[in-house]
Amino acid sequence: MAGGAPISQNDPRLAWPLALVFLVLFVAPLAMLLALSLQGPQGGALGVGQYARFLGDLFSLGVLGGTLWLGVKVTLLCLLLGYPLAWLYVRAPAGLRGPMMLVILLPLLTSVVVRTFAWIVILGRQGIVNETLMGLGLTATPLKLLYTDGGLVVALAQVQMPLMVLPLINSLFRVDPNLADASAILGAGAWRGFFRVLLPLTLPGIIAGCLLTYAGAITAFITQSLVGGGQMLFMPGYLYQQASTLQDWPFAAAIAMIFLVAVLAVVSVFNTLGRLSRGYAQA
Amino acid sequence: MNLNRRSLMTTALTLGAMRVYPGISYAQARPLVFATFTGSWEEAHKAVLVPAFRKATGNAQIVLDPMLSVDQIAKINAAKANPPIDVMLHDPGPALVAVGQGLAEPYPVEKSAYYKDLIPVAQEKMGPAPFFQVVGLTYNPETVKTPPKSWADLWNPAFKGRVGITNLNSTLGTGFLVEIARMHGGSEANVDAGFAALDKLKPNLAAVAANPGALATLFQQGQIDISPGNFNAIQILKARGVPVEFVAPKEGAIAFKTTIHIVKNAPNQELAFKLIEAALSPEVQTELMNPPYLIVPTNSKVKMAGEIAKVLAASHAEMEKKFVFQDWAKINEQRAAWIDKFNREIKF
Repeated sequence: MAGGAPISQNDPRLAWPLALVFLVLFVAPLAMLLALSLQGPQGGALGVGQYARFLGDLFSLGVLGGTLWLGVKVTLLCLLLGYPLAWLYVRAPAGLRGPMMLVILLPLLTSVVVRTFAWIVILGRQGIVNETLMGLGLTATPLKLLYTDGGLVVALAQVQMPLMVLPLINSLFRVDPNLADASAILGAGAWRGFFRVLLPLTLPGIIAGCLLTYAGAITAFITQSLVGGGQMLFMPGYLYQQASTLQDWPFAAAIAMIFLVAVLAVVSVFNTLGRLSRGYAQA
Repeated sequence: MNLNRRSLMTTALTLGAMRVYPGISYAQARPLVFATFTGSWEEAHKAVLVPAFRKATGNAQIVLDPMLSVDQIAKINAAKANPPIDVMLHDPGPALVAVGQGLAEPYPVEKSAYYKDLIPVAQEKMGPAPFFQVVGLTYNPETVKTPPKSWADLWNPAFKGRVGITNLNSTLGTGFLVEIARMHGGSEANVDAGFAALDKLKPNLAAVAANPGALATLFQQGQIDISPGNFNAIQILKARGVPVEFVAPKEGAIAFKTTIHIVKNAPNQELAFKLIEAALSPEVQTELMNPPYLIVPTNSKVKMAGEIAKVLAASHAEMEKKFVFQDWAKINEQRAAWIDKFNREIKF
């Protein structure tokens, strides 16, 4: 270095390159998006007309609500399936952990497009699920699984699962195994021990996992459109339709801003829960 | 050399800027950029059109940058003064948008050797149509024993829960809506009859795909047995062993012009012209008409042959009689409203 004071470990200047990247690649485009969203139709006067158009329309609000609700369903399913998986991983003998981690990470190692197509094959009329059900005589005609809400939730849950399991594993490892024994000795049953000891102590991991899964699920454009189909409309698809097919950039920008604010609201709820949980876990 | 923070930064920024804006360093020297469509189009153009272009220009540099019509428009709009694309390819709807926004250079018709040979409907002054896309009925011959004959067969109760369509985001979906509106007394100006017909189609619908490509997957998975479909896309599926057949409905298959345009302000105007000339030439069009591409030619000097002659039309005269051409200027006027209506009403 030619000049300047020596750099200490927590010198704020170390964050400058990242800050610059954020400023150029994130804040600036976002500001442009905001400016675009304030344009009237066909270059009319500036105003909040595009926002009024969205917020005053029950259909558009329904798309927003449906998207946020989809995220809730996927997150809950991920949590329900992911927690036992993370628990098993932490309890597994060291030799088994390697292969288990590979299985957990596998979804991240394949492209989301490939994973989504795999789900089309699984859920189709001649797919694995329907063939099995018919083979077992549980249903005479194939069930409609593809292009349904349930099918989409399951597919998204699988696609997003690693994002839930990894933080859970991390927080489960931090829990002292003696605590479980202690609670058992003090007379707590397995369920009581889980709800009163393990669950509170792993809340930070649960919240981090939920946040990642939620954000991933509601923005998963490819999976939503391929497994959900053309008549299920969610915010990313709505945005794409307006921006790309209709070239209505101001409205698309308004949709993007509204979606962003809605997601930030959800994130701040999670963050508040996270803060509360830290207090709870230490109490 | 004094390697301090400032000089490093300057160098890094300059290098970065050159990567982001290659125009700074070699504005005139970049290769011709042709934005074709993804998938089978890219394959066909890479295999046939690009070699023909290289031959005609003494090996001029060309880059294919495949993307959807709407993305081409967005990219050019973002840099109108120095567009990153020289030649764009469009479906009829986006073509009118691009021309309307002033993104296309008029085609130098008087300089062109082939323009006059194009069939009249392909002669577009803002960018001629080197190819057609044809939309008809697609069905699975293993499950549908009597081949369908008319669009009306989609409403046949025998196909309960077996019909696939796409939403209106695609040219195919919109063209299909207009066509069924016409069958029921509507037109490009009024598709209410088409929406009413779609409403009656609901019991038969198995899927509304997000795009025509997804329809292909649905056939492969046995999710649907019959749908409107693109002739070329079906040929590709068929060649891969998927049991699908294409049939032109008796009302006439819907034909979309695929037009090719020189981008306004593009740095490689002359090469762009040469590429389009190659695309219009009977040699390239004949080669693209043959398997595996089966792209419908627009140059009247090309003699229809093979699968196209068998399934679609034996000559250009017959083609002009049998194909249905839609008025996309009219369609574009209301397309946004239709998409909105489709979003709201087509739920099943």
